Amino acid sequence: MSEYTPFEMIAYTGSRVLEDEKIVFVGTGLPIIAAMHAQFTHAPNLYMIYEAGSLAPILEMGMPLSVGDTRAARKACYLKGLCGAFELTQRGCADYAFIGGAQIDMYGNICSTIEGQNYDKPGIRFPGSGGAGAMAANCEKTIAIMALEKRRFVKKLDFVTSIGFGDGSADYREKAGVLGAGPYRVITNQALFGFDEDTRRMELLEVKPGLTPADIQDLVGFELVISPDVKDMAEPTDEDLRLLRDVIDAEGYFLKRVIKK
Amino acid sequence: MNSASSKIRNISNLKYKEKKLEYWGPTPDESRKAMVNKSHALKDKTTTLKDAVAKHIKNGINLGIGGFVNTRVPVAIIHEIIRHGATDLTLSFQSNSICPELLAGAMILDPDRVSIKRVELAWWGYEIIGIAPMLRYLATNGMIEMDDYTNYGMSVRFKAASMGIPFIPVRDHGGSDMELINRGKMVKCPFSGKNVYLIPACHPDVGIVHTTAADMYGNARIFGAYCTCPEIAMAANATIMTTEKIIASENIRTYPNLTEIPFPVVDTVTEVPYGSYPGASYGSYWFDMDHLKMFRSICEDFRKTGSKDALKKYYDEYIFGCENHDDFIDKIGYKTIKKLKDLDGGQPIILT
Repeated sequence: MSEYTPFEMIAYTGSRVLEDEKIVFVGTGLPIIAAMHAQFTHAPNLYMIYEAGSLAPILEMGMPLSVGDTRAARKACYLKGLCGAFELTQRGCADYAFIGGAQIDMYGNICSTIEGQNYDKPGIRFPGSGGAGAMAANCEKTIAIMALEKRRFVKKLDFVTSIGFGDGSADYREKAGVLGAGPYRVITNQALFGFDEDTRRMELLEVKPGLTPADIQDLVGFELVISPDVKDMAEPTDEDLRLLRDVIDAEGYFLKRVIKK
Repeated sequence: MNSASSKIRNISNLKYKEKKLEYWGPTPDESRKAMVNKSHALKDKTTTLKDAVAKHIKNGINLGIGGFVNTRVPVAIIHEIIRHGATDLTLSFQSNSICPELLAGAMILDPDRVSIKRVELAWWGYEIIGIAPMLRYLATNGMIEMDDYTNYGMSVRFKAASMGIPFIPVRDHGGSDMELINRGKMVKCPFSGKNVYLIPACHPDVGIVHTTAADMYGNARIFGAYCTCPEIAMAANATIMTTEKIIASENIRTYPNLTEIPFPVVDTVTEVPYGSYPGASYGSYWFDMDHLKMFRSICEDFRKTGSKDALKKYYDEYIFGCENHDDFIDKIGYKTIKKLKDLDGGQPIILT
């Protein structure tokens, strides 16, 4: 088994959770890489929606560097604008949302707007919702990619940008007027999480080989539900790494980024 | 209308001031009047960008910015607005990078020439290249008022305006803190009795868009993603359009299905090749990552050090040192433009 980096593990795990013959609404970076890897391997009939307006493009010009990249429109089946992309989603055509953020809580709510409590004069201003808030509301299942750190897996967000299960009550999403079923998976390089059906709380499903559930709990700022059957995360093979490094992100735009602490 | 509420209480640490339910630009009635009162003649609307901006850009307007992040962003128009000057602006867009950053940089250099009062938006940043330093500077110093929606929210607010309706129900924002801080409202659907979120139409005073091709009347084609350009052009009281290429009106009439923006909503058309540079225009050129990185790092240095020297140099060189966009592209040079055309790869567009 070859050495792999945290980003490669995230992209590979993201690929694993995507099923064939589904439509995934992708965000920039690792979600695109994960979806491309899935297309190259177990899910050749997985299709992407890009929020600038394209459905099911053929990425023959290489990986789009952003969701607005003109390359993401190449040989699409349907190419409109943002309204078109999000209305497909609101109508029920997008199986997965693939988003990221700065903070996540135990109910899968995500912050990507501000850090600090004062909206009118925040400590840090992030870019904002972008498509994420709409994707988390109306794609059927939300998959989040997060860095596994205590300051990111928090008890209370500074701002709820993308709705998860809210306060965890059974009818929260219905009262919010949103349509999708909600949080499905949270992907990190050291653990894969799902959500407990009864309590809607984040549940540890898999850990990186060599780690224990207690190791993961130490990196999370709230109490995890631990699956009675925690498995080891699958690791990328040499062929997976070749696809990721030499075919999908050959220039290393995302996979070779340096993690800033 | 019965107001309703999701259960969003105490889920986050958020503190905020509630906003008045009002429009941040022309009301639907005012905008309807503006559209009725402008000439609907099929007449030649070609003009210089200088004249277009001088005629339509005024202090205190709501400026609707087209494109999406780095794609078909109306950079040539933004440069001209900065040369012309406009204060007290409200900006409205879904996701953008260099356009609001350029306006914000101009505000930092000379707030008497350009200033932003408030922004209704979904996202402001450079994606792969990084966060937007000027947004972070202005927002964390409390220098601009913000109003956050999702990308769908902002897009469909322009769409509602383009449809002539005052608000539109959506299935997002509810249950997130955007429900608390923005000017939308949760109500009970009169038909199902269930909660549904309403957001106000967004009519800019002036919409600015860059298109793939247009005839002299303003009938425009867009290839690649439309972004929200048709909706913004239709929503605005006045639309200033730049286009990569002016084409014969006969071509428009041969394939009328390809027209995405119709002439009555367009006020001026200017042929500006590379009008989105350093952004991309599908079928013509890819975005110039090096130039965007260069400008972003100048802004980031200002944010970190407070020194405006490099920022001033950029504006003096690329904006105030240019009479028009041709001068700007001259400074970028043939080799860069050639590379960006190659990177576009000749995406297929129809000009005939």
